[in-house]
Amino acid sequence: MSSTTTNALRVRTRPKVGLLFIAPFAVLFLFVLIIPIGYSAYISLFQNKLIGGNAFVGLDNYIKLFNDPQFYDGAIRVVVFTAIQVPIMLLSAIALALAIDSLRLHGTKFFRVIVFLPYAIPAIVSTLMWGFMLGIRYGLIGSLNEAAGTSFDPFAPETTMISIGVMVTWGFTGYNMLIFYAALRAVPRELYEAAAIDGANEFHIVRYIKLPALRGSLVVTVIFSIIGTFQLFNEPNILATLVSNSGITSYYTPNLYAYNLAFTGSQQGYAAALAIVMALFTIAIAYVVQIKGMKNVLNK
Amino acid sequence: MKKRILAAAVATVATLVALTGCTGSSDAPSSAGVPTDKPITLKVWSWDGTVKEAVPGFEKLYPNITVDVINAGSSTDEYTALDNAIQAGSGVPDIAMFEYFSLPLFAIPGKLTDLSQFGAEDIASDYVDAAWGNVTIDGKPYALPSDYGPAALFYNQAVLAEAGVTAPPATWDEFYEAAKKVRALGGDHYITNDSADIFLLLSLIWEGGGRPFTVDGSNVTIDFTDAGTTRAVEYWQKMLDEDLVNTKVSGWSDDWNRGLNEGTIATQIIGSWFTSTLPERAPDAAGDFRIAPLPQWEAGEASGSENGGSAMAIPADAKNKEAAYAFLEYFTHGDGLQPRIDAGAFVPKLSNLDDEEFLATTNEFFGDQKYNEVLAESSKNVATGWQYPPFFGWARTSYEDVSAPLYNSGKGTLADVLETWKQRSIEYGNEQGFTVE
Repeated sequence: MSSTTTNALRVRTRPKVGLLFIAPFAVLFLFVLIIPIGYSAYISLFQNKLIGGNAFVGLDNYIKLFNDPQFYDGAIRVVVFTAIQVPIMLLSAIALALAIDSLRLHGTKFFRVIVFLPYAIPAIVSTLMWGFMLGIRYGLIGSLNEAAGTSFDPFAPETTMISIGVMVTWGFTGYNMLIFYAALRAVPRELYEAAAIDGANEFHIVRYIKLPALRGSLVVTVIFSIIGTFQLFNEPNILATLVSNSGITSYYTPNLYAYNLAFTGSQQGYAAALAIVMALFTIAIAYVVQIKGMKNVLNK
Repeated sequence: MKKRILAAAVATVATLVALTGCTGSSDAPSSAGVPTDKPITLKVWSWDGTVKEAVPGFEKLYPNITVDVINAGSSTDEYTALDNAIQAGSGVPDIAMFEYFSLPLFAIPGKLTDLSQFGAEDIASDYVDAAWGNVTIDGKPYALPSDYGPAALFYNQAVLAEAGVTAPPATWDEFYEAAKKVRALGGDHYITNDSADIFLLLSLIWEGGGRPFTVDGSNVTIDFTDAGTTRAVEYWQKMLDEDLVNTKVSGWSDDWNRGLNEGTIATQIIGSWFTSTLPERAPDAAGDFRIAPLPQWEAGEASGSENGGSAMAIPADAKNKEAAYAFLEYFTHGDGLQPRIDAGAFVPKLSNLDDEEFLATTNEFFGDQKYNEVLAESSKNVATGWQYPPFFGWARTSYEDVSAPLYNSGKGTLADVLETWKQRSIEYGNEQGFTVE
């Protein structure tokens, strides 16, 4: 009899104790994630006019956004950027990880740190650095142009995005390389020996053992990279003041546009609608990548 | 103990001053109604570093008042913070700093205190007319002018001389001729630079009598076709077309510093406050730069315009308005002005602009020229009747966007840019509850 009561008690109290354990996380999660997102969604339904105050406008902000050529301009720019920059960056990262993992290089530890180091430099600092380096009136490109008699400008409206791509690639290749390298280290060495005994050469090992081992981390890095590039903000924001005639407008990327809408146009509701739409878009793409990527992994 | 008695005595004197103020003496209108019996802390938001110089003198005058000067960010940062404080209903400062063009943004929606209740109009004639015009919105004063930026021509005498220009251009025609001579020096030599600088274009329009913005309450009219505007726009278009202006260098960039320093940018059409920052930007050009009045549209005219400047206002939600006005008047008009001027402030109050010591100021960097004589004269010559649309802060950013194709790759004309800008402004202004056409 008594044992049934204790059992009943245990059943009843267990969830409560569990709740207590997740409380620190849940509270933080609620305040830094759920509430801000909810609040954004809420204010995206309002328009705060300079004259006339705050008014509920329903989905007007969203309708306006889908008819806003400036929004599409920025959104298309980051999608194109993502489609080009992410593959280049991830392929370089894979190549570097394979090189380090090949055990045929000297000083790999040093090399690993050097490649990873740019990731530790804040985007603001690295953008300033690259801005000075690529500026045509000073620094490297300026001197190269002078020496070669050319007039190549990395920050012309047509080339600015490429320069930003170089900066982002420089900053994040090392980070992705570490993820890939960790995945490669997890492969049991015996597999390579077995493969070698079976007559596999280095290329075969890469093709049939190492690359498949990278699939899982590839999904993760693709998702991280997409999220990162869709949120492109620091680089164009700093370059806009650093160099003139770079072609960077106030709506150059969706995040920059949202920032300028909220802080120079006091259109917080509209900016919130933009943020929500971009978030949904990013989630949708990340989800597709995950589903497809994971299916491949499972099939394997 | 001794200190406390002294404080009490000063407080009594202050009360007496306040009483005389009440009985109608116009010498101390600011003291009227300032409570002296309870401790008050005034919060002042200012990114003008000279304001704090006025605090010790004021606190001596009003021992019960403590003044706390806070830098809550410059320009837009401060306005955002202020708007947030107003919306939240707490943390609103007693005095806040505004660039002249941003005053209507807060005054028109009723976020600032109408200062006529403190008799601010009585001191109107002590200021440069145009400066007072800046703080008057719909006929009421909403701020006191605290800093001024009459546009002037900063020119590198050595470079102009090298190009064969011996006197600073007095008219825009002369400026055009001088620009061609400077350009003939070859290389990257330009008379000046302009990369979508709206204040530069507006100061030309303003000086020549163009008034593109008309504001009446929440009704705003934008028109870039009046005679003064058209003349300035056509002139600047000619300068751009003939490659007489460097459009590759924007203000405040490192390119700009370098151009000023090595002399490839020979002049700047800019506000008087440039005196404080040019020496550190162009150390190698020390002794070469001089300051001249803005070139005129017709020889013999004496017109001018503004490029920058700021005012101080009391938010409508401020708690200690009487005390706030007392301090406001003290540091923008009264005895608190001198310590600020000594620290480098340029205040559009006539008596200060005529002050001999002020006029005699020299700086080796400017070849010991008594440049304040030029700047004081320029201040008085600023043409009146100029208005900024209340959403100018937004419009400024929008201008950079719409003018980018022109400045980046020479697409379109300045007139097209202004037309697009006008359409965007109309759209934005109407969305924000104004009536814009």
